[in-house]
Amino acid sequence: MTSSRIRIAADSVCDLPADIAGRFNIHVIPTYVNIGRESIPDDGVSLDRERFYRELPYMEAQPTTAAPSPGDAAAFYESILDDGVDHIVSIHVPEKLSGTLNAMRLGAEAVGGDRVTLVDSQQLTFGIGLQVWAAAELAAQGLGLETILDAIERVRRKTSVYAIIDTMEYLRRSGRVNALTASIGSLLKIKPIVSVHDGEVSSISRQRTWARAEQRLRTLTLAQSPLERLALLHTANLAGAKKFLDSIRDSAPSDTLFIETTPTLGAHVGPGSIGVATLNADWRR
Amino acid sequence: MATSSIDGRQLKRRFRAGVDRLSQHVELINQLNVFPVPDGDTGINMFHTLRRAYEEIAEDDSEDAGVIADRFAHGALMGARGNSGTILSQLLKGFADGLQAPTLRPSLLRRACQAAVKQAYSSLSKPTEGTMLTVAREAAESLGHEASGAASLKQMLEGMTAAALASLENTPNLLPILKEAGVVDAGGMGLVCFMQGMLGGQSALPAARLESARELRGEAAGGSYGYDVQFLMIGEDLDIARARRDLEALGWSVIVAGDRRAIKVHIHVNNPALPLDYALKTGAALDDIVVENMDIQYQRGLARRQNEAAPANSDSPATSVIAVVEGDGMRAVFRDLNCDTIIDGGAGRNPSTEDFLVAIKQLPSHQVVILPNDRNIVLAAQQAADLIEGRLTRVLPTESVLQGISAMLAYGDASDANADLEATIEQMSAARAATISIEVTRASRMASFRGLQIRRNDYIALVDGELCSASADIESAVLGAFSELDLQKIELATIYFGADLAEADAAELVERLKASSVELEFEIIFGGQTLYPYLISVE
Repeated sequence: MTSSRIRIAADSVCDLPADIAGRFNIHVIPTYVNIGRESIPDDGVSLDRERFYRELPYMEAQPTTAAPSPGDAAAFYESILDDGVDHIVSIHVPEKLSGTLNAMRLGAEAVGGDRVTLVDSQQLTFGIGLQVWAAAELAAQGLGLETILDAIERVRRKTSVYAIIDTMEYLRRSGRVNALTASIGSLLKIKPIVSVHDGEVSSISRQRTWARAEQRLRTLTLAQSPLERLALLHTANLAGAKKFLDSIRDSAPSDTLFIETTPTLGAHVGPGSIGVATLNADWRR
Repeated sequence: MATSSIDGRQLKRRFRAGVDRLSQHVELINQLNVFPVPDGDTGINMFHTLRRAYEEIAEDDSEDAGVIADRFAHGALMGARGNSGTILSQLLKGFADGLQAPTLRPSLLRRACQAAVKQAYSSLSKPTEGTMLTVAREAAESLGHEASGAASLKQMLEGMTAAALASLENTPNLLPILKEAGVVDAGGMGLVCFMQGMLGGQSALPAARLESARELRGEAAGGSYGYDVQFLMIGEDLDIARARRDLEALGWSVIVAGDRRAIKVHIHVNNPALPLDYALKTGAALDDIVVENMDIQYQRGLARRQNEAAPANSDSPATSVIAVVEGDGMRAVFRDLNCDTIIDGGAGRNPSTEDFLVAIKQLPSHQVVILPNDRNIVLAAQQAADLIEGRLTRVLPTESVLQGISAMLAYGDASDANADLEATIEQMSAARAATISIEVTRASRMASFRGLQIRRNDYIALVDGELCSASADIESAVLGAFSELDLQKIELATIYFGADLAEADAAELVERLKASSVELEFEIIFGGQTLYPYLISVE
């Protein structure tokens, strides 16, 4: 298998910047955001993230999100395989939170399932992106499937994703994570810090002020040092993300990324949040 | 009758006389409260503690004084309420442990009293002089160190009670806070009452020197809980302030809430006809009248407590939280933050050690955290934690419901199944200290405090337990408290409004704060608490 050509695929929830995806031939299938009667693919072109978050608070109904269809998935895989690729490692948003993986499975079966290896990333946003990126680097070096899958697993174990949710309003309305909202409570305004782990989102801290929440996020982020990779995530809060980076500048890698999170997640989280996706340097051991 | 020794039956009679004397002075002791905060409940707490103690021996005809003392102490331990009740229960426990003999003789009295004092001091991490502890210690010390054949038991008891009274008179010299308020220590007064009752005969109590001492209400309770009366007054132009003032003169635990057209009254009285008669005479129509005999309720409660407790279960969550909370809205907040058990109580209604024991036993988890949420409830909770077996129980000594909420929020940080109890406690404790509490209440009496002249019924605001401002106008009192804060470091003020207020009142307060350039985010929450129209957390 070492001489075969392996490509990495993912869905747009992975939040991998377009230039990295382009450099490593990573194929990204868009998920959908439904606003009113329109279903808009999150393909980096049709859906302007900045505009989406600007308009989100004023939308008549909270947008919903949708997985690609099995037909989309089949066409997606077919186009990659047509390119002379032997095998696809397809890394996705957790099955516990989305129907995407199921659609991808049906799509893969339609094109002959043995050429696609599906991976549940157990992560969200750039927590998926870190796995995709590492896998694509190895694939580009011509390394085999086993090595790539092992690397994905090791990256996953050393990845942390934390976010401060500025307002619970959107999560509550979305209904996607009822256990999470119940664990936080609803009578007081709370800015929880959530963590993504094993494909689930849980609250790990309930703070009432932004300053305290930021302080807690800082502690959590620094606990992941030494950082090989770091992305500052935000939903329409680049200023907040930059300010946070300033406070951990000494521990941040020079190529730290700023990522405005996909509206597929943002529709549930709402604007104003910041977060981090970290990769601890020990993953290579 | 020359008293040379006291057997079990005689000790029982003396205990009974002590409880009776204390019961006659419950209100007086309550009013010796140092802070003009209306949570003066030392008297009622000591009474509940001793009443429960006596229940333990009421049917007991044992001749053995040691047995009687032991059982009485056990009852006190179970019934301990408030800090004063808990210290009293420790004194009784030490006394019983030191006695351990069928008859009380002079040398045994000395030994038992010394053991009582030792036990009470060692139960506290920071014993404070000028309190009931000092009164007990100096009373015991008056017995001398060696057996003196000359002194009869009667003389010793007389000397000891006189020493206790002198010690009580001296408490303001040891505790500046008492001197400033012009009172003697309330717990010490309770102990003196109990000892005087046990001695028998007529003895004088020290002058209470209460600047606004009210008449003792009605007949002496004589060891009765009385009646719990609740009703709704309906009218066109009711005078709620007047109703509150008049009803306060008729009974205790008075809650009067409402507006010009409807007033909800809750009162404890010995004669349930009095408040109803009063309400009718104001011209109001009455509705929803509920009269309950609290003695019968108490007996039923006792029977209920005999129920089987849930055993700790390995499938259950590792840690559960018990909190003492008063007010419908406040209880909803604690439930919402995933508090497992809520004991209804607070200032003026302190749960007993036994109440905590029952609550702990009903939880399925191995580890329990208790949030007492009141300075006066901490010791009873701690006593329960010390007594419980088979579960790891820790008391986080939250002194107010606001500290409790901060601790509950932090509980989310560490509530996963594997969290170590000590780590959980540490996190909750740190969070509790990080929030500033403003408590707004009415002065229960006239006072002068840190240069502030306070009239009875003035609104007073305490910042982290320290009296900060006072005014006849509630909003001014709150503004005064905010003026003490460094607003640069603050983002959010959460205002919990009490049972006597409406959301609109809180909204007006926020407008006034904003107009005084208090530029914070404000959140208004229904607390439903009594005694404190506003509880405000600032962070």
